[in-house]
Amino acid sequence: MKLTKPYLLVIALLLASPIFLVASELTGYHEPLDLVAEALGLKEATEEFNWTPFLDYTVPGVPPVLGYILTGALGILAILVLCKLVEKVRGR
Amino acid sequence: MHIPDGFLDPVTAGVTYLIALSYTVYAFKKARSSRVELLAPVSASIFVAQMLNWPLPGGTSLHFVGGALAGILLGPWNGYMAMFLVLLVQTLIFHDGGITAFGANLLNMAILSVYTGYVFYKSFARFPGRGKVIGSFLGGWLSLVVAGLACGLQLGVSTQFPHNVTLAVPVMAGWHAVLGLAEGVITAAVVSYISSKSPELLTGGAV
Repeated sequence: MKLTKPYLLVIALLLASPIFLVASELTGYHEPLDLVAEALGLKEATEEFNWTPFLDYTVPGVPPVLGYILTGALGILAILVLCKLVEKVRGR
Repeated sequence: MHIPDGFLDPVTAGVTYLIALSYTVYAFKKARSSRVELLAPVSASIFVAQMLNWPLPGGTSLHFVGGALAGILLGPWNGYMAMFLVLLVQTLIFHDGGITAFGANLLNMAILSVYTGYVFYKSFARFPGRGKVIGSFLGGWLSLVVAGLACGLQLGVSTQFPHNVTLAVPVMAGWHAVLGLAEGVITAAVVSYISSKSPELLTGGAV
């Protein structure tokens, strides 16, 4: 398997990801940890204590679907840069 | 699975940070450079797979975690590095998972999940026939059970949490025992595909 194939999969999944965003918003379903927290009245401090403009994979002023793809691309880019750094350090 | 800010008290957050950061230093030293070329494609794939939230009957959702798959493909140390980078980017750029809970999230999804997947895969992969598929299914499934159990334990001992471990552990482990079946199926499907197309990537001994 050539290593280009996983990247094609990454791009395909990235472009498909907004479908899941819309589906989970329509159904209002959340992860188990969120459900437990809600049932117990636990309060997240995420919004009160926030440093990033890309909170929850959004871009300010950009529609959520496009923002989801853009932030996904940003995340992938950041991971690739970090992996290159790890490879360089490891290669010494 | 990502614990946000506000759920863990300072002691629980501090202890989990200490464990995770010590493990990071150790993993970086132990990781072999032979699998490092797979670090980027595996990390990027896991990052984007975690963005897909699947709504499930019963009012919950799940996303693929990928710790077991990282452990199977990269071995426990490079597998840890892959999950470390994914969680680092999620936490710092998107605040997906709290900065105060980063140690706990690493412990659950990068240490326990990766190692559980790796151990079960290695234990079963030696058997001919369906050994690799069974091992990867069990690894994927149990990686989520163990991570959910640890998450429940951390919440239970945290003074921020209004109930103790006798409630938090069974609830979190129980949910993830069910949701983990999907993690097991996806992990086994990916391993099965790679096994048929590029078996050299599945060394099964990539430490």
